[in-house]
Amino acid sequence: MSLQRSTRPQPVFMHPAIFICGSVLLGVLFALQEWMGMRLWSYHVGLVLELEAWGLQYLLLGTICWTVWWRFGERIQQANLKWIITRGLPFSIVAGVLEEMVWILCFPNLPLRHGHMTYWPRLAFHLNAELIDNMVILWCAIGLFRGVGYYQQAREKEASAAQLKTQLAQAQLRALRMQLNPHFLFNTMNSISSLMQTDIAAADLMLEQLSSLLRIALERGEVQLIPLSDEMEFVEMYLAMQDVRFMGRVRQEIFVEPELHDALVPAMLLQPLIENAYAHGLSKLEKPGQIAVTVRRQNTTLTIGVTNSGRGLHPATTNGGRRQGLGIANVKDRLRLHYGNDQTFAIEEMEQGEVHVKLTLPLQFSERPTAILTGYGA
Amino acid sequence: MIHAVLADDEVLARSKLRQLLSAEPGIEIVGEGTNAQETIDLVRASKPHVLFLDIQMPGMDGLDIASELSTGKVVPAPHIIFTTAHDQYALRAFEVHAVDYLLKPFTRERLSSAVERVRKQILLASQQQAVNGTLGQSPAGYATRIVFKSRGRIIFLPVSDIRWINAEENYVRIRTKTETHLLRETMARLQEKLDPEMFLRVHRSSIVNLQHVKEVRTEAEGDYSVVLLSGDKLPMSRSYRARISGLLTRS
Repeated sequence: MSLQRSTRPQPVFMHPAIFICGSVLLGVLFALQEWMGMRLWSYHVGLVLELEAWGLQYLLLGTICWTVWWRFGERIQQANLKWIITRGLPFSIVAGVLEEMVWILCFPNLPLRHGHMTYWPRLAFHLNAELIDNMVILWCAIGLFRGVGYYQQAREKEASAAQLKTQLAQAQLRALRMQLNPHFLFNTMNSISSLMQTDIAAADLMLEQLSSLLRIALERGEVQLIPLSDEMEFVEMYLAMQDVRFMGRVRQEIFVEPELHDALVPAMLLQPLIENAYAHGLSKLEKPGQIAVTVRRQNTTLTIGVTNSGRGLHPATTNGGRRQGLGIANVKDRLRLHYGNDQTFAIEEMEQGEVHVKLTLPLQFSERPTAILTGYGA
Repeated sequence: MIHAVLADDEVLARSKLRQLLSAEPGIEIVGEGTNAQETIDLVRASKPHVLFLDIQMPGMDGLDIASELSTGKVVPAPHIIFTTAHDQYALRAFEVHAVDYLLKPFTRERLSSAVERVRKQILLASQQQAVNGTLGQSPAGYATRIVFKSRGRIIFLPVSDIRWINAEENYVRIRTKTETHLLRETMARLQEKLDPEMFLRVHRSSIVNLQHVKEVRTEAEGDYSVVLLSGDKLPMSRSYRARISGLLTRS
């Protein structure tokens, strides 16, 4: 904790040059105020002497305060009231007296019009007039330093709260993302297991396709956002696998605007939607159906549409969260965690029982496009 | 008859290959190796046409075996088809002139297409040897094959299989008879690698394989388009018009 404190940035006004200059400036203002006040009472004192006297006074006080900050600033920022009083009181008295002792050395003619005085009576005279002032100034400085501490602590608390929130979101995203692989893996294995009884060649093909999907999924690991071209490659593979299952009865269409191949999307965003389209729409059809996946750009928004023919939305599908499926809930949650309110998700029924899923998310591009292994040779 | 050697340390992997190859006409398995040394000895002794090689086997890895065999100690070197669960050796396999790279598990169709490639290469090699006694190399270092990863598979694509290519921003889409592949590549770099006698840039955003061009059609208002044998029609820039007619009449 103390290590963190010593490395954190300090306020700009605590830079020695700024702090001490500021303090001298304060002295100059007091000097002008006194000079004007004296003139009003027709009591003429040289302006230069006023400036010198007040300027030096505040130069000394400023230097003392900054030195305290430099040596004990970190400690004062965390100090409690007892610590401040037990150390601040003796300090303010000693420093107030010392400052005065140095200051009167530089102005042997002060106080004016009191004839010649030796050092000690002069010190007594000035202390009587100014010790309380000095102490007030020193206490103001102590108060300021402690205030900086409060401000920094508040900022740190805020930052760590924000960090905690991101970490939580990341953990949730990871959990949601990891939910998907087993989900679709076991569903597919069940299909293969079923096909093995009836069509060995189809089961074999599906096993190869599943291996390819799995190889890609494992390679990508837990990466959250991937280029659209990678996501669409996964979608194409998944669609090919569904094509085996539905024996070509579903016409599949994909359209992606070429400029969007490098756009970033959450990994495994589309597979649950497509799985849903087959499970709740296309599989219920007796006649051939179709599914279309389109990705388009609208200004700064990426629009993804999945449309499938089917039997529309049954009341159970829209109301009952369970019927809607784990996949859809997962997609919604991930969109929300990634993009907050900058995303939309809608399912609607079109004519003739078509179901249209539309989602929009902010358009971002990958900085480092995926390196695709390509080689040329004989 | 094509002679094949299988090399894999796993019993079931060899038995799968044996079973699938038994259904392929004109292939005979002449030996099976379970480790590196055994495989090298087998190949030296039986001089097979094709070697099915697992990358990770006890002793040395499949790539070492492949380089060992391609150094000329075994003449003629067998055509190698890698069968492996790992995709990270694909580039090196490509460099040692492997015919294909099958990721486990693979289907019968995938194996068949690899065997078909071997058949073609054997045929081509014998024809070329009959003509001038040298093995076919593409002119001036142009690529005859491209290797890339697409949809979780490793593709060793002969450029002659490419019908046309179009640009999609930072990517190119390579179109074959049955599939399209999206590659992160520029048109300029691709064009540089492809033999200009075979591939022609007809537009800022498209390259066609001349072997698949049916005709050049004049469109309204002096525009042109290229019609492929497949029926695909691509727009053509006027500046490329003269070049393509020259090439088409020659072939």
